Amino acid sequence: MYTWNQRTRTLDELAENIGLELTGVALTSMHTLRDFALDYWRRYFALVSVREENEQLKARLDSLEARLVEDRESLAELERLRGLIDLPKSPSWKPLGARVLAGRMGPNAVRASIVINRGYVMGGRPNTPIITNNGLVGRILRASPHMATVLLITDPTSRVAISSQTGRAFGILIGKGPELQLEVIYMRRDANIKHGDVLITAGVDQKFPKGIPVARVTRVAHSDYTQFLVVEAVPLVDLRHLEEVVLLDPTGTARLPEEFDDVPTRFAVPLAP
Amino acid sequence: MKMLCNMIWWAAFITSAVVVQSLLPGLDALVVGLLILLQNRDYKNMFWLAPFFIFLQEGMGTRFFGGSIFLYSVVVVIFRMSLWFFEVENFLFVFLLSACLMVPYYVLDWFMASLQNITFDMEKTLDKCFLQAVFLPFAWYFCTMTRRWTKYDDVT
Repeated sequence: MYTWNQRTRTLDELAENIGLELTGVALTSMHTLRDFALDYWRRYFALVSVREENEQLKARLDSLEARLVEDRESLAELERLRGLIDLPKSPSWKPLGARVLAGRMGPNAVRASIVINRGYVMGGRPNTPIITNNGLVGRILRASPHMATVLLITDPTSRVAISSQTGRAFGILIGKGPELQLEVIYMRRDANIKHGDVLITAGVDQKFPKGIPVARVTRVAHSDYTQFLVVEAVPLVDLRHLEEVVLLDPTGTARLPEEFDDVPTRFAVPLAP
Repeated sequence: MKMLCNMIWWAAFITSAVVVQSLLPGLDALVVGLLILLQNRDYKNMFWLAPFFIFLQEGMGTRFFGGSIFLYSVVVVIFRMSLWFFEVENFLFVFLLSACLMVPYYVLDWFMASLQNITFDMEKTLDKCFLQAVFLPFAWYFCTMTRRWTKYDDVT
């Protein structure tokens, strides 16, 4: 059965369509319920202290503070969403927003991954690149009609063709596991790359659009064993605190050679190491 | 009425299990349901709930299909064998069972990692197995407590 499924992917597809979809339904319901409960809780606190005059002032203060927190949250969300709108535009990729519902789930989730609320009927097909305004997050690994699992770039099975933004030194970026540094393999010894350089997608693998910032180089050294450089890097995106992401849905339009070459300043801004 | 209570309980259990799994990566919360089905000898419900649990776990996972079938089969086999030797409806038994289940969880991770070319992290896998072993008895206890509410007898 296992080998038959490996060949045909029948059971995998069935599990994606049933299991992942129902997981999404449960998570979405719980998110909605949580938002409703929080909203109700805040309103309740704003109303219970309105009997006496002194209490009224207190309640007003509570209400204003709660509103301030709420507004701050909305402002933060607005800033994140504005950042997402700032993404570079290309006719060959259509950006689609999605929310992150959960991280790894269940005993079978052994890869570094997240669950998002956009499946294959909404543009989230397997291998669709996932980005934020700060850079590359990963690609969709499996999808149900309305949910998808995203493989993060930190996963050891992740491979991204990259080049350095300034020196155009090419290599392949591989993950080493969550919270570990990324590694660049097959980087030539004479490559023009140094500590602090930004690595961008090279676009040669046809999986990711060219020019998306991916990571920042933290170490460059000569190897004693191979003819390539030893290069380590950290992701530009904080993968532990993702809330919204953008899917780059291929439109089928021919890719332009200069696509994303003009990296916007927002992408070029370095993040905290 | 009993049937309705039962259905509501299972719906609440599955939703809670999915939420718990989203909060604790790597945890298998649905295995508690399988254990309760076995203890209640509720084979009629197990007929559809066990495949449902398997599809849920496989759907939200990132491995090829098959791991959950192995795990849940091991749970059933160990439980059936334990029936000969133990009283299976007490906390101590569930504690022993959860400790025993650390082995198949570990073996499955190791085996699937080599089979599917996934990196195997021994330390993280052990942590995951330990968390599972600690979680199961307490979750089982909580579930059996709440399950008493569904033991509602219809007045005829």
